[in-house]
Amino acid sequence: MEAEQAASEDEPPSLLWGLDPVFSAFARLYIKDLLLMRESRQVPGIYLYKSHPIFQVDILGTVVFKREREDFYSYGVDDGTGVINCLCWKSEKWKEPEEPFKGGRAASSSSAVGPSGGFNVEEQLRRLQQAQRGASMLEIGDLLRVRGSVKTSRGQREIMSSNFYKVSDPVMALQISWMQELPQLYRRCYQKPFPLSDGEPGTCATTTGGQASFSSLLGRATQTLRDFLREKEVRRFRPYDVEHLLLPLVPQLPPLTGSEQASAAGPSVPSHTRHLLSETLRILQQEGTLFRRVLSQDELYHVTEQDKDLLMAIRDVIQQDSKRQKYAEKGCHILHILSSVRRRYSQSLSRQALEVGLRFLESSSDIISTSDCHYTVV
Amino acid sequence: MLPATAVYHFPWELKPSAIADGTSVRTFGRLTCYRPEDSTAILSSHHASIKYQVSVQTSCVEPFNPLCGALYIVLGEIENTEEGSGVMLRARVMNCVDGVDLALLQKAINEQRSFFQKSEDNKGSTSG
Repeated sequence: MEAEQAASEDEPPSLLWGLDPVFSAFARLYIKDLLLMRESRQVPGIYLYKSHPIFQVDILGTVVFKREREDFYSYGVDDGTGVINCLCWKSEKWKEPEEPFKGGRAASSSSAVGPSGGFNVEEQLRRLQQAQRGASMLEIGDLLRVRGSVKTSRGQREIMSSNFYKVSDPVMALQISWMQELPQLYRRCYQKPFPLSDGEPGTCATTTGGQASFSSLLGRATQTLRDFLREKEVRRFRPYDVEHLLLPLVPQLPPLTGSEQASAAGPSVPSHTRHLLSETLRILQQEGTLFRRVLSQDELYHVTEQDKDLLMAIRDVIQQDSKRQKYAEKGCHILHILSSVRRRYSQSLSRQALEVGLRFLESSSDIISTSDCHYTVV
Repeated sequence: MLPATAVYHFPWELKPSAIADGTSVRTFGRLTCYRPEDSTAILSSHHASIKYQVSVQTSCVEPFNPLCGALYIVLGEIENTEEGSGVMLRARVMNCVDGVDLALLQKAINEQRSFFQKSEDNKGSTSG
């Protein structure tokens, strides 16, 4: 019972499955893992391997069982870790050509060169069809590669193939490289947890589900704030000016302990909104979109691209120093600009904020970069 | 309905007492002797200066083109025989893989095994 509950909590929300690259790829898993995967509770038909949603798989193995029906082949494939049934549909294109056609072209069908001396398309097409048929008809002992979706029918796991073919591997080169590749794929990709946040994994101490919703919420919050600052051309603001922007996003957060809705004065703002806001502001500061000119009790944030004083200070520094012989040819290095602007404007200016300012000035053609880290006036 | 999984085994691991009767295995060796009248073949391999032999019942995979001296991969069920020290394998699949890099194949099998071992250990330690 507890294991089941833990398992269902492990499932990432289905809305976020598209974020996992494994979901869109044909996952190369061992057959024994395919047989043991459990089906998702949210969307039947999708399976989960260590919190990765799996829909399509890619396997390579020996055919140990064959059954032919009118429309499909059913091959049992063994890769050394498990055996699974693969349903491989027959294609119309592979069916034998009708007799009348064969009789009429008996004379010319044997050669690739037609009676006119040119390239005989019919002959080539016939050979192509033969090759395709050959690649799809396998016997026990042949090596088969199958790509398709996983299904459970009558209690048995099987693969509904979308693409399959016989592999010619006379010296086992492909099988050996497959055996060596899979453990690496597992270690690098499949055994790592579902990639929910691109930032520090330890920021949110809630369950995996909570982490998923918080990091996606954080993404939405930063975007909302960025859009607002750009549209309204905000130069400076304090946190309580922008709190209201995050309120619409808040109801989607999982509720924290009890109800912390009461606040001292003004409109009630839950504490998790404040937490979200402080995280958002921290991320925007790290990016360089915002900076604090003076580090004091008063939390006043400046928007880098809108702060005319900062941009003027950067431009003046570069203009004046570019006249000096030392910097005339190559331009000023970014660290030199940083120390000069810090002296002139704000001690707490970060490199990221300076880079945002420099990019803005460059796009308005006030300065130009002479190399990766050097700038000069136009 | 589907046959059991044939796990890779090295020929020197196929001792009569080590593996249960009826287990599906996959192994390799060089074809040194083939008797079509009995449908038996012998696959030999060397490991640490010792020659190992595996007897194979080939009735299910005949007719096949026997190349004496060529390397074969055989997949089948173990049948422990009373006489001698050999182990008998009833083949379901017999593929000629002459030209295969045996050292590389061995390395790949060992890598896979150590990976499975580590996964089992991790699972054991997290659930414990």
